[in-house]
Amino acid sequence: MARVNDPELTKARLHLVVEEMYDRIVKGEPPTMTLPVRTKNNIGFDKKLGVYKYGKKRSTRDATSLGSAKNLLRALHVVEFIEEMIEAGKSSTLREMYYISEGWGLGKFGSQNESNNLAEDLEVVTSCLREDFKLRPEEDGARMIGNITVNELNRRGQWMTINARDDVGDSGYGVPYNVESEKIELKEHDVNFLMAIETGGMFDRLIENGFDEDYNCGLIHLKGQPARSTRRIIKRMNEEWDLPVVVFLDGDPWSFRIFASIAYGAIKTAHISEYLATPSATYLGITADDILAYDLPADDLSKKDIEALNAELSDPRFADGWWQDQINMMLEVGKKAEQQSLAKYGLDFVTDTYLPEKLGELGLS
Amino acid sequence: MAGIANKMASNQKQIAISEFFEKNKHFLGFDSLPRSIITAVKEAVDNSLDACEEARILPDIIIKISKIDTKKDILELVSEDNGPGIPQKSIEKVFGQLLFGSRFHAIRQSRGQQGIGITGVVMYSQLTTGKPTHVLSKIASEPTAISVKIGLDTRKNKAVKSEQDRIIWENEDLSLKEHGVRVTTRMKAKYQRGRQSVFQYLRMTSIVNPHAEITFIDPDGERFHWPRVTERLPRKVDAIKPHPHGIELGQLQRMCRESKDSRLTVFLRQNFSGVSMRAAKELCEASELAISMKPKSMKPDDVRALLEAFQGERMVNKKPIKLLSPPTNCLSPIEEMLIKKGLSKTIDSKFIATMTRAPTVSHGNPFQVEVGLIFGEGMAADKHVEILRFANRVPLMYQQGGCLLTKAIESVDWRQYGLEQAGGKGVPKGPAAILVHLASTNVQFTSEAKEALSDNEFVFEETRKAMLEMGRGLRKHLEKKKKMAKTREKFELINDILPAIAEKSASILERPVPDLAGSITKIMSAVICNETTAWNKETKQTDVSITLFNYTSRSRSYSLLVNWPEKAGAEMVGNERGGRKEAMGIWGWKIETLEPGEKAVLEYSLSNLEKGDWTETEVFFRGSQDVIGATKLDEKMLDEIRNQEKILEQTEGSDDSENDVTNSYEPGVVEGDSGQTTLFGGEN
Repeated sequence: MARVNDPELTKARLHLVVEEMYDRIVKGEPPTMTLPVRTKNNIGFDKKLGVYKYGKKRSTRDATSLGSAKNLLRALHVVEFIEEMIEAGKSSTLREMYYISEGWGLGKFGSQNESNNLAEDLEVVTSCLREDFKLRPEEDGARMIGNITVNELNRRGQWMTINARDDVGDSGYGVPYNVESEKIELKEHDVNFLMAIETGGMFDRLIENGFDEDYNCGLIHLKGQPARSTRRIIKRMNEEWDLPVVVFLDGDPWSFRIFASIAYGAIKTAHISEYLATPSATYLGITADDILAYDLPADDLSKKDIEALNAELSDPRFADGWWQDQINMMLEVGKKAEQQSLAKYGLDFVTDTYLPEKLGELGLS
Repeated sequence: MAGIANKMASNQKQIAISEFFEKNKHFLGFDSLPRSIITAVKEAVDNSLDACEEARILPDIIIKISKIDTKKDILELVSEDNGPGIPQKSIEKVFGQLLFGSRFHAIRQSRGQQGIGITGVVMYSQLTTGKPTHVLSKIASEPTAISVKIGLDTRKNKAVKSEQDRIIWENEDLSLKEHGVRVTTRMKAKYQRGRQSVFQYLRMTSIVNPHAEITFIDPDGERFHWPRVTERLPRKVDAIKPHPHGIELGQLQRMCRESKDSRLTVFLRQNFSGVSMRAAKELCEASELAISMKPKSMKPDDVRALLEAFQGERMVNKKPIKLLSPPTNCLSPIEEMLIKKGLSKTIDSKFIATMTRAPTVSHGNPFQVEVGLIFGEGMAADKHVEILRFANRVPLMYQQGGCLLTKAIESVDWRQYGLEQAGGKGVPKGPAAILVHLASTNVQFTSEAKEALSDNEFVFEETRKAMLEMGRGLRKHLEKKKKMAKTREKFELINDILPAIAEKSASILERPVPDLAGSITKIMSAVICNETTAWNKETKQTDVSITLFNYTSRSRSYSLLVNWPEKAGAEMVGNERGGRKEAMGIWGWKIETLEPGEKAVLEYSLSNLEKGDWTETEVFFRGSQDVIGATKLDEKMLDEIRNQEKILEQTEGSDDSENDVTNSYEPGVVEGDSGQTTLFGGEN
């Protein structure tokens, strides 16, 4: 699936959703909306695409309870709103749509989360992307530093060339929310690999230590669970330039999930995994064995951490042996460690010792 | 009015224990500075309420407390009522002698059972400030009021009068005060707020005295007002003679000594309740005393023998002597509807259940338990429920944990009724308040402080039973609320959301708006009953509307029944559908067959009620398919209620015949639950 980029087709697919409800009422039945189940129980590996996608399980939202009936009504309002935007040539952020819904009476959203989820639902049902719906995320994309040059179409409609090492300050190049070719062209690069980093502190540490130049790589700050555009630009650089991607995160169950969303596809966006996921990405650390091997200062796993790890054991994305070992080992040790715990051995330890050793194992140093 | 005032005063006898008081003031509620002011207010208010009740006056009571000297903790208390007033010659006795009170010598339900009373306040004032108490009293038959200062000689148990004068007593609006008493006294005391405070005492007093109008002005000048919610005075209670089962040796000895009767049988019949001629003879036989014996000449062993016969230890033909129950008309319960009113005027809430148990007897003492439970959003949900304890309409504010009434509440597993309670024991938590009132001719306290009731298995059981009934009502209410919320949601779905879905989808697709009937039936797929009970300001009636919707795909027919406050004297008006009386307080209608999508509406109003009397109507149904919003009728329960009615009618007819042998009872046996069944009845 990729962008439909055809307003008429987008409208036609949205109308199918509306028709399902309408036809059910005509038949004397409660209106419904049918969509794939969006949980880990309904994602499977797509061999052709090399990523995890929703399976065949479908759920029907029917208007027999107040909650789901309201949801259907909201979906209709959203469809109408999208049509209006398509016709007027406008777009809005998801947050704006949430506020606009104040005027939808009974169909107004209770929280921004509801409106975000509904936008995703419609993407899933129609196989369109939210860009087709003229909806923009609020989320800000990543920061990037390294000898990478892109052309970006600016607000005045002019293409500008930006080198993410020479044309930016310490905060790096800010990845916009739209990284499709109509907005961003990947021009050229002189790096050997890309490294995605979870925390801002570590990102800044590597820059201060000149790691990107010493190891000739591009650094990308993920800001926690990465935004779609972050995952998308990693995917594009990986595909278009054939660059290896390594992922450097904290050593805890949540980092495992961040990695899975980068490499295999996130459960919430499994309908567009092939468009966002980078199957060849590698988990660099912190691994469960790093905690022991480097004797890192570690915290005890909380109850929630343990629950998350146990849930991951049955998550199809973590089904391979290496991940099962890592998860089980973390459960056994009962500890988790942050990236920045490496500072135990000094500020340069991460760039002088840890990363070279880890990259060496991958043949990248 | 003066006649009554004079007569009341003449009933008073005196007992000299002024010195006892001085040494034991801690027993009498003057043991701490915060408590002293509460006790003083309590004595003044008890006096006012009792006097008004005897004189059949609707009480108007004003209490004002001011700070006179903050450093030395000196407060001034002014207490004013519109009672009959005290005649000049009795003022000294009322305010200057301990244990001076008509109540002490009579067996009946009364507020201050030991009559320490207002004299204690005068004495405490004297002891802590050295100043006399000012009394202003006016009786209706005299044009002027008497103004006098009363001090106390605690050694001689004698009042010391000073500055006596006659004055014209004017109200605030310069009209002449008709009758009443105003007491102004200063004492060392501390004014506090909270659970144990003057405010709380007056609030509780107003709950159980719905006929009283109480105003309170606190030391900051803030004015609190608890209005009168009923014009009905508490029933005038009769004094009764002691019952043989409730008498103690000392009392019996004194009665024999003071008796002027010539024969023992006459003495027994005339000085005790529950003793028939036959029983009097058998008591003599069992105690081996001659019928013709003069009570005055009885020796200590004779008295003891008689007491043993009273208590069933001495028998005739190996059987204890059968005695009649003491009459219970000496009790004055507040009654369910008035408890409801009293609670709802001080606590704003949605649900109130009240119950007045039938009067019963323990050890020869008639008693009656009343409870009320109020539940709702207005109260804190995470705190212990407020327990409001009363004995003979007097609030009990201290020693909650040691009180029998608290123990009875704690013995109930409230979790099954929707309140939180750790381990199913102790005082439950939740947005609720529980009221317990014990009316009795002989309230037994754990100590002289009269703040906690001592253990009594009969009172405990009665209280517990009443609590269980309250609990069932609460659970029912909560279940109903939950169901109502669900039903409301469904109605919102079909009335608002579904039409919006139909319109919006039609407009997006540019097609006609589809008909919704089929979808609605599928969504609801139930028969639903909707009830509203609301006060109508204009007609001063309670309007009840019940709608039965058939949202199933078949035709349905039902009978609907409702409960209504028939016993409380309500009348059903505007009931155009007729129907019939099914039992006391239960009305029923046969509903015509409802086709799919059809509804039936029942409407009627209840007159003779006041706002807040009736806020929720329970709907029951007869029919096969379940009805959301109504309870399936339990026919056995209905029969039970009908049977009880019959029994009640029969017993009412023979109420005055004291010789009715069926009315007798064994010592220590509590009579059954007459008149207590409801349609929800039964243990859990």
